[in-house]
Amino acid sequence: MAYNELIKNFNRIRDYMKDFYVFGFKSRGDFTQKSARSYDDEKRRVESWLGDYMSFRHTPDGKNVFLSIDSRAAESNPLYTAWKTKSFTDGDITLHFILFDILYSPAVKMTLKEILDRIDREYLADFAEPPEFDESTVRKKLKEYVEEGLIRAEKDGRQMLYSRCETTDLTGASDVIDFFSETAPLGVIGSFLKDRLPEHRNIFSFKHHYINAALDSEILLTLLTAIREKRTVTLENKSPRFARVTTVEVLPLKILAGTQDGRWYLMSLHLKGNHFNAYRLDYLQKVKPGEVYEKFDTAARAYEKRAAHSWSVSCEWSMQRLEHVEFVVEVLPGEEHIVERLEREKRCGSVEQIDETHWRFSADIFNSQEILPWIRTFICRITQMDFSNRTVENKFKEDLAEIMRLYGLTDREAES
Amino acid sequence: MIFSELYSAYYNTVAGILSACLNGRPEEKDLRKIVEERAFSESVLTVLPALKEGRWQLLRPDLTTPLRREPAIPLTLLEKRWLKAILQDPRIRLFDVHVDGLDGVDPLFDLNDISYYDRYADGDPFEDPEYVRRFRLIREAIRTGTPLQAAYVNRKGLRLRMRFIPTGLEYSEKDDKFRVRVTGSRFANLRLGRITRLGIYQGDGPWHRAPEPERIEEVTLELRDERNALDRVMNHFAHLEKEAEKIGKDRYRIRLRYYKSDETELVIRILGFGPVIKVTEPENFVDLIKERLIRQKECGIR
Repeated sequence: MAYNELIKNFNRIRDYMKDFYVFGFKSRGDFTQKSARSYDDEKRRVESWLGDYMSFRHTPDGKNVFLSIDSRAAESNPLYTAWKTKSFTDGDITLHFILFDILYSPAVKMTLKEILDRIDREYLADFAEPPEFDESTVRKKLKEYVEEGLIRAEKDGRQMLYSRCETTDLTGASDVIDFFSETAPLGVIGSFLKDRLPEHRNIFSFKHHYINAALDSEILLTLLTAIREKRTVTLENKSPRFARVTTVEVLPLKILAGTQDGRWYLMSLHLKGNHFNAYRLDYLQKVKPGEVYEKFDTAARAYEKRAAHSWSVSCEWSMQRLEHVEFVVEVLPGEEHIVERLEREKRCGSVEQIDETHWRFSADIFNSQEILPWIRTFICRITQMDFSNRTVENKFKEDLAEIMRLYGLTDREAES
Repeated sequence: MIFSELYSAYYNTVAGILSACLNGRPEEKDLRKIVEERAFSESVLTVLPALKEGRWQLLRPDLTTPLRREPAIPLTLLEKRWLKAILQDPRIRLFDVHVDGLDGVDPLFDLNDISYYDRYADGDPFEDPEYVRRFRLIREAIRTGTPLQAAYVNRKGLRLRMRFIPTGLEYSEKDDKFRVRVTGSRFANLRLGRITRLGIYQGDGPWHRAPEPERIEEVTLELRDERNALDRVMNHFAHLEKEAEKIGKDRYRIRLRYYKSDETELVIRILGFGPVIKVTEPENFVDLIKERLIRQKECGIR
């Protein structure tokens, strides 16, 4: 098939975009999931959509393509562009503009026959080979637009009258849309609204701004809808670690959004195993809504109660499986900001002063492994550790010794 | 459905072209400019030929259109539902906004169904009326270029008086805080939550010179892909400009570009990954890591 800048199926491009943006070190030969031709086409598309951010590097393994974006400097999420590339037929676009020109005001109400008559008489007459929009095509398009909320259909006796829905005035909302399209869930929809606004100066920029979750918007929308409707879902999950797709039926309970790594998870109740399980949204290939689950509220309450002991995404039914973690840091005069850090960065547990220069953090959590990266950020002042899970505590200490070795910090060097 | 042609760059581009044709007698180069601005780098090869050759029968050969009015499409239900959802966000109070036409519209999602589980706990007080007043004053001043004067508490707790011209607002999702980008002051940005008093400045200076643009530095890491480290590191630093290359089996070299003022934050974030990454250059960054490790060694751990 001839190359087209637009695509029919978003999933086709999702993995490529992620690879180009998040990783960016693969060459053509590493993209084994599809043909080389497919790789060439997708690369060309991404280059056409996001050329300003696309970079190349030649390596012995071939040419690497990557997207390098400083999201703090970008005014809006460049990856939203991918959502604006849906292909369509010649008839779709022609009919789209003609229909809204005919139904130019909510007060204009017409039957299908009247609309068809106007299309033929006033819009296509000047063209040498006008397309044929038969009754069924136009009815189908009107029905589609009724579902999208663009057109209203109302019965008038035995016939159906069509009119356009009222226009929503977005005057004065440009700052709101600029801000929330980058910070709210499903911000890509805000980006669609932004495309409708007149040109204006955007006064916002964003720090620690993870933009790649945008690629999972359709998955996120399906999950949020299922949570609201208290439905089960069937997930097709493809974890790169296992390199295969597994299908699982779960009850979605909550979306967990990571602001420190941009990773979004679904927290769910695994229906077969009756345990809590978290799934990365970017690993989900498909989500299919299922039946309404009667005991949703009970499961959601059970999760909320346990979430207070979850440092990251691990959660268990049994409170007996909680592990105690404790560490002490040294805070010298003038370093009070360290205490502020402990207080603002802890996600659970407590902080207490134990003497003039030492502070202790303690918590009971489901998986002590999850808290290690945070504790490591206090390296240079950790004086004591006490984990009920000694294996994890020992792992921390071994890792610390390994870091020292990495930087050549033998005892002698550290003393000098 | 999010992925729909209704939101496509092509529909948006054609709307722009049709508007231009209804508003005057554009030449082909004007239409090409619209395509370049609204669509993609190769779109010019598709959009204009499709219109000119009559595949999309919206434009006559003489670049006039049978349409009578500038294309304007109502908001889709998806867009309305998203707007309704964000109107429930506490941060909406910062904006004095009201959107008509959303009565009876079901919000697209419930904010309570999302947990930002690792967000810092001391975010800005978005519902405090004084904070909201300052936010709105700054927002207005950015638009109008109005100078402001403020009382400000710095990170050491010292109270400062200052004047500045705000130029933008920067929000951090992790911190849940706003910073005000300013000029005319010796600072480049101020934490909005630390401003304790704010009003319009009516004097006439003098003003500090505009701060130097923030310096951008580069650090190189070597990564050993153990315990899913590659995925964790690349996602964690995804928001920075970066380059990665494979240098051996399970080994990668990653170059990150960062703002100099974020250096300390970057040092501790790198330490958070433990022994799977090692900073290799520049030397001064390696020294920053070593300093912490040496002090840690002195602490000992019981």
